[in-house]
Order: sequence, then structure tokens, then C-alpha cells
Amino acid sequence: MIEVKDLSKRYGENVALDHISFSVGEDTIVGFLGPNGAGKSTTMNIITGYISASSGSVTVGGHDTVDEPNEAKKLIGYMPEIPPLYPDMTVREYLNFIYDLKKVTLPREKHLKEICTLIRINNVYGRLIANLSKGYRQRVGLAQALVGNPPVLVLDEPTVGLDPKQIIEVRNLIKSLGKNHTVILSSHILPEVQAVADRIIIINRGRLAADGTPYELEHGQSGEQKLVVRLEGNSGEVQHALESIRGVLHVRNFGEKEPGVFEYEVDGRGGVDLRRPLFGIASKRNWPILSMSSSELSLEDVFLRLTGTTYLSDNAKVKFSSKGGDRV
Amino acid sequence: MKAICMKELKGYYLSPIGYVFSGVLLLFFGFYYFQVMMTLSSSYIPSIYSMLFTWCMMILLPILTMRSFSEEIRNKTDQGLLTAPVGVFSIVFGKFLAAFLVFAIALAASLIPAVILSFFSDPDWIQIFGTILGSLLYGAAMISIGIFISSLTQSQMVAAIATFGVSLLLLLLGGFSSSVNNEFLANFLSWISFDSRYQPFTRGIFSVSGLVFFLSVVAVFTFLTARKLESKRWS
Repeated sequence: MIEVKDLSKRYGENVALDHISFSVGEDTIVGFLGPNGAGKSTTMNIITGYISASSGSVTVGGHDTVDEPNEAKKLIGYMPEIPPLYPDMTVREYLNFIYDLKKVTLPREKHLKEICTLIRINNVYGRLIANLSKGYRQRVGLAQALVGNPPVLVLDEPTVGLDPKQIIEVRNLIKSLGKNHTVILSSHILPEVQAVADRIIIINRGRLAADGTPYELEHGQSGEQKLVVRLEGNSGEVQHALESIRGVLHVRNFGEKEPGVFEYEVDGRGGVDLRRPLFGIASKRNWPILSMSSSELSLEDVFLRLTGTTYLSDNAKVKFSSKGGDRV
Repeated sequence: MKAICMKELKGYYLSPIGYVFSGVLLLFFGFYYFQVMMTLSSSYIPSIYSMLFTWCMMILLPILTMRSFSEEIRNKTDQGLLTAPVGVFSIVFGKFLAAFLVFAIALAASLIPAVILSFFSDPDWIQIFGTILGSLLYGAAMISIGIFISSLTQSQMVAAIATFGVSLLLLLLGGFSSSVNNEFLANFLSWISFDSRYQPFTRGIFSVSGLVFFLSVVAVFTFLTARKLESKRWS
């Protein structure tokens, strides 16, 4: 449905996008993930034909967005980061205007009513957009993208400014739309993308950092596994012993957690189960294991690894700080 | 194009701008009317129209066009327009048409006193209609320039003042031509002077060169506005 080839965008010296390529099939939900300023909106603006690329091409449904802009735009419903709303119009006037602008041929009243019911804006249908709350404006922005029932939906941060209940509603809505639409949505909030997307594309500093299903990203990224273990015993000896286990790449001491008990993080090569040899050593040396947990790389770790901590968004920082330890 | 034109027209008449525009125009008009008829006791009214429209071009048209694209750019609603399946030209032309209609409606309203006067006297209709035709053409050219200027800035104020400056300059340009020594420059100045193109119409002469001139200005600035909006797509 969407084919992006070798897309670059430069603003003078500044490279916003650096040779990005990917394609999206029909009826899938793709999540664009990346820290703020990574190039998500730029990519979306190019796909929807708002700005042009410095090089590369985009085709939507077989139509090149530069050579046949109107055919391509007909297939796309776009909700920009700031919804393009006219504050001096009522929701009814606005949606009717969009209906005329897009030259939709579906039965007017019925079609608009359906959208309003789906997005739940029936109760504000006659109100001025200027008087709507941010959440409702966001929804009207989404409604606007759905007018004409285009097969491709491009949604730039669709849940910004919504309360938690609305966020869940909108996520469910996007999921159900994904059954018969191609949806591209962007976010810098990881759980959101994880919750709705069939496929995740991570963009960082204008480059494609990863592309795959959430499962693939979690499991295929590095093949490493990680153990967090609490052992009672002399920390220096324990660390030395742990490092001597075959397959262990790195041991990090998190410090004394209880009197005489230290916590260690053990990174191991993929495919090697470290739990048994670790138990063997601990029992031989008589170091009681007080806790041991194994964790594969979470999507969060993948995201952090790919994008680098310095570029983390605020949301992500709050989320990750509780985990402790410095990460690469 | 129709959708945008209708939206703009609604915008003009749901906000005070449309009414202020027509109201102020008719106020000026009433004042001149009063002056000619009461103080001069004359029924020669074409001069009222030609005088009035000069004011109208300079002061009122910039107000009509200032919000055209500036407001869209400021509210980021241009993103909605430019990603809709419509050509840039129909967006620009829709906006132009709406502003032009508001202008034409105000001009049409200014004919009411002349119609009433015709019951008692015999106004010079040829000159009056000539002036109105000339004004429509002059106005169309100024509107297209104003819309172009508003596509250059987010600020309505800057758009209005710049358009005012340009229209004042164009109006005065013809006057300079007589005080310039260089013959080529003098001819050039009177050639691009909007006022000298407009004057034949006020005398009841249908000037084809004037018609072509003003329509060309409209075409050029509509084209430039469209290119400006599209510039995002090739920068």
C-alpha cells in the first residue's frame, strides 16, 4: 500500500531524514517510534504530500506522491500533530467543509453521522470548535481524517492531550480501524505503540534504527539474556566466580541490598542458560541465592539501545528511572 | 475550489470583517454623496464613485485579504488544505473568488443611491458603470496581490500593512512619471501605474488594454501565490 524508497530530507546543513526505506502492506498498523525530533513527523508530512523529500520517492496505492499528488492524497486520511481545525466553525460545519473539500461521494449525512458515532463526538456536533476541550479537538481531528473513508490513515501522535480513559478508547478505535485500513501512527511513548501496532519502525536521528514486529524486536535485537541475582557472600569473590561461568559476558554489582547480600546483573550470550551453572557454583561455595530473575531484553531496552539515553523523551525517562542501573 | 470559496465567504460574513468592509465602504460613500448633492447641489455623481474606489483600494482591500493565508499558516490549517486531494490553484482561486465576491457585493450595494437618484434625475450611467467595471478589475488585481502577500507571512498585521504600502505605491507611481527625466523610465512608470490603467474606465471608456493588464496581474499573482504554497514541496 505504501512504498517508501530511500527517502532523505535536508534543511540546509541539517539532515532530518537520512535514506529511509520501508513498505507497508494493506490492513496493518505500523507504529513509528522515536525520540522527539527523530524525523517521525517529517516522514509523515512527506508521505501525505505536505512537504517534499530532498531525494527518494513515496508511492501510495501505486501513485507517486510527487507525480500524481491528488490520486495519492485521495487514499490518505491525515491527522497532523496539530489538528487543522478552524476555531470559528462548529464541528458540523467543519466536517461538512472537509467532506466538500475531499469531494467525497458517500451519502453525506449518513457518512458524517457514522464517523461521529465512531469517534463519539455526537454530543459536541453543534458546538464551536473554539469552545471544545483539547481532547475533543483531538477527536475532531481524527474524525476529519476519517471523512471519505480513505484506505490509509496517517496519524501523528493521535493520543497527545487525552486523558487515560480517552487514550484507551482511541487505542481501541485505532486497533479496530486497523482491521480494514492501513494505519501509520507515530508516538514517542513506547507502551502506546506496543499496545496497538502490528509492526514497529524505530527512527532515530533521521535514520531507520529498527523495523519488525514487537516480538521480533524483543527477541532478535541482540540475542543476549540477562539475569538479576541476589547472593549472600563476599562480593569480590562472588563477582569473580560469576564472571568465570561460561557464556557470561559481563557482571555488574548493584551494591549491598541487605546485610551481607549483594545484587548482581549477569549478562550472558544468547542461547546459554546461565541459571543452572550459577546455581551449581553458588551451592558449591555455599552462597545462598536469595532471589534470581531472568529477563530477556524488553522493548524498552531495545528502544534505549537503539536511540541512546541522551535522546530520551521525558515520559520514557520517568518510566525507566525506576529500574536503576546505567544503560547503553 | 467551491468548498474553499464557500468556506471563505462564510468566514467573511460570520466574522465582522465582511460587514465592516461593506459598512465602512458605504459610510464613505454616503459622505461623498452628501457632499456632492447637498453642498454642490449637483446630480453629477460618477466622480463620487471614482473618488471612493481609490480609498477603498488603499484602505479596505488590505483588510479583506490580510487573513487569507496568514491565518491558515498560523493555525496550521494549511496542512489540512495542502494534504487534501485538491490542487493548489483551486485553493488560491477559491480564496480569491470569495474575497472578490465580498468586494463586488459591497460595490453593488453602493449603486442603491444612484438608482434612487435616477427617479428624479438622469445620472450618467455609462460613466458610473465604467467606473464600477474599472473598480472591479482594479480590485481583483489588488486582491490577488493582497492574497499573495498574506501567503508570505503568519501575521495578519504585517500582511495588511504591506498590502497597504504596495497599493499606495501603485497608486502614486503614475504621478512620478511626469517628474522623471528619463523617457524610458517615465513610460515604464506610467505603464505599470494602476491608476493610469483605471482612469479610462472612469470616463466611460472600455479600455481593452486595461482589462488585459488587470487580468494579467491577477493571473501572475495567483500563480505566484500557488508557487509560494507549493514551495514546501520543492524546497
